[in-house]
Amino acid sequence: MLIAADIALSYGELHALRGVSIAAEPGRILGLVGPNGSGKSTLLNVLAGLQRPDNGNVTLDGRTIPPGLPHVAAQHGIGRTFQVPRLARRLTVLQNMLVGAPPPPGESLWHLLFRPRQVRRHERALHAAAMAMLHRIGLAHQADDYADALSGGQQKLLSMGMLLMGAPRALLLDEPAAGVNPALIARQIDLLRAVRAEGRIVVLVEHNMEMVADLCDRVVVLDAGEVIASGTPAEIRADHRVMRSYLGEPA
Amino acid sequence: MIDFAIFAVTMIAIWSVLGISLHLQFGLTGLVNFGQVMPFAVGAYGAGFAAAHGLPIAAGIAIGALLTPLLGLLVIQPAGRLAQDYWALVTLGAGEIFRLTMLNVPAIAGGVEGTTVYRIADRSLAMLLALALLGAAALLARRIGRSPLGRILRVLREDETLGATLGRNPFALHRLVTVVSWTLAGLAGVLYAHVVGYLSPGAFTVGETFLIWTAVVLGGPASLPGVVLGTAVVELTAVSTRFVAQWSHLPFELTANLRLGTFGLVLVLVFLFRPDGLLREAKARSDADRR
Repeated sequence: MLIAADIALSYGELHALRGVSIAAEPGRILGLVGPNGSGKSTLLNVLAGLQRPDNGNVTLDGRTIPPGLPHVAAQHGIGRTFQVPRLARRLTVLQNMLVGAPPPPGESLWHLLFRPRQVRRHERALHAAAMAMLHRIGLAHQADDYADALSGGQQKLLSMGMLLMGAPRALLLDEPAAGVNPALIARQIDLLRAVRAEGRIVVLVEHNMEMVADLCDRVVVLDAGEVIASGTPAEIRADHRVMRSYLGEPA
Repeated sequence: MIDFAIFAVTMIAIWSVLGISLHLQFGLTGLVNFGQVMPFAVGAYGAGFAAAHGLPIAAGIAIGALLTPLLGLLVIQPAGRLAQDYWALVTLGAGEIFRLTMLNVPAIAGGVEGTTVYRIADRSLAMLLALALLGAAALLARRIGRSPLGRILRVLREDETLGATLGRNPFALHRLVTVVSWTLAGLAGVLYAHVVGYLSPGAFTVGETFLIWTAVVLGGPASLPGVVLGTAVVELTAVSTRFVAQWSHLPFELTANLRLGTFGLVLVLVFLFRPDGLLREAKARSDADRR
C-alpha cells in the first residue's frame, strides 16, 4: 500500500497541495484526475521524492519514504514517468532500457576493474531482459535508434518500459496517453493490466477519461490542491462537483 | 628537430591525459569544470614540495597522487547542493586559490621564484613514461566509457533527474568520476614536473584550463580519440608558436596573443558548426561485442 498522508506544499503564496491524502492498493490502479494546475503532477513529485512537501509523509508498505530524495524513493520501489518523457536522448533505445534496471555490478568501478567476468555475465542477462521488454512494448525493431528519434508516443512507451525494467513496487504514471495515437494507447492499456495482475501499485494521472474509466479501480479527483471526490469511475462520472471543476477549464 | 619532436610528443601525451580527465568529467558525465588545471598543478606541486624539502621522488609522486583525489572530494562537495553552472565557478575559484597559495607561500615550493625539480635527463625515457601514462589513462577511460558505469554517467549527462528517478545517486557518481578524473590529472602533473624540471605558479593559470577546454571541445568531448586528436592539434600549435615567431619576425608577445586569439576563434567556430567536436561519440550498438 502506497499512502500519502496530509501532504501540503506551497510555492510562496500559491498552495499547490493543501493536505492531500491518498492510498493506493496493490493490484489496483488508482486514477488521479483534475483540471490542469490542480496539483496532480506535484503530488506525483512528492511521492517520488522530487519535491519535498512542507507537511505530511509518504509510506510504502508501512515504511516511511524520506522526503525529497528521488534516488532513495526509487530504491524503495517507487518509480515515476513524466508527462514529457525523460529519456537519455543521445543514447539508443536499448541503452535507455538497460538503465531502467536496478544498478548492475558494472556500475561499480571496483567490479569493472577486478570482477570483469561477473560484469560481463550480468550484462548478457541484462541485455536479454531489455530486449525482451522492447519486444513486449513493440519497440524491438528500433533498439539501435537514438531515443530522440522516436515519436512522442513511442517515447512514452519507452519510459514505461524503462520503469517496468526496474520492477518497482509502485508505478506513478503522468499522463501516459496524452498525445499518443490510439494504437499505442491500446498497447499501454494492455501493459498496465498486466502490471496490475502482477499485484503492483499503480497511480495513473490522466485526462483521457476513457482510459481512466477503462483501467482504474478507484479515482481521486483533485482541484486546487484538494481532494474533492473519490470513488469508482462510475461514481465520479455521476458526481456533479467533478463535472463543474472540469467545466471551468478551457478545452 | 628530433629533439623537438620528442618534446612535442611528450607534451601532447601529458596534456592528452588532462584531456582524458576532462573527457571523463565533462564529455561522459556533463560536469563543467573550469578548474581543470588545479589537479594538474596539485600533482606537479606534490613533486615540487618533495624537491623543495629534500624528500625522495617517490614521496613527491605519492603526495601528488594522493592529494589530488582528496582535493577532488573536497571541491566536488558543494556540487551536491549547487546547480551545475555554479559548480563550474567553484572549480574556477578553487584552481585560483591553489595557484595563489603556491604563489604567496614560498615555504611550500618556492613561491613566485618557483622551484627546481629532478628533471628526467633522458628525453626518450620521459617520452616513453608520458606515453605509458597516456596509454593507461586511455585504457581506463575506455573501460569506463564502454561499461554500464559509462552508460549511467551518460544518462546523468543527458538528464540528471532521470538518473535519480532510476534509483541512482547522481552526487555519488559525480564524486566517483571526479576522483578518477583528478587522480589522472594529478599523475599527469607529477610527470610534467619531472619532464620540465622547474615549477612556478605561472604555469598553472586559468589560461591552461582554457587550453585544455579548447582541445577537448575541438576534438570532441565525448570521444576518446577525439580528445587526443584535439590535444595534439592545440598542443602542437602552442609549442610551435616560437617557430612562427622566428619565421614571421613578429614579436614573440604578439604571436603568443595571436595564438590565444586563434584558440578563441577555433572555439567559436566549433560551437557554431561542429558542436559535438571533430569526432562524435560512437553509438553503442546492440550487436557490438560485449565486454
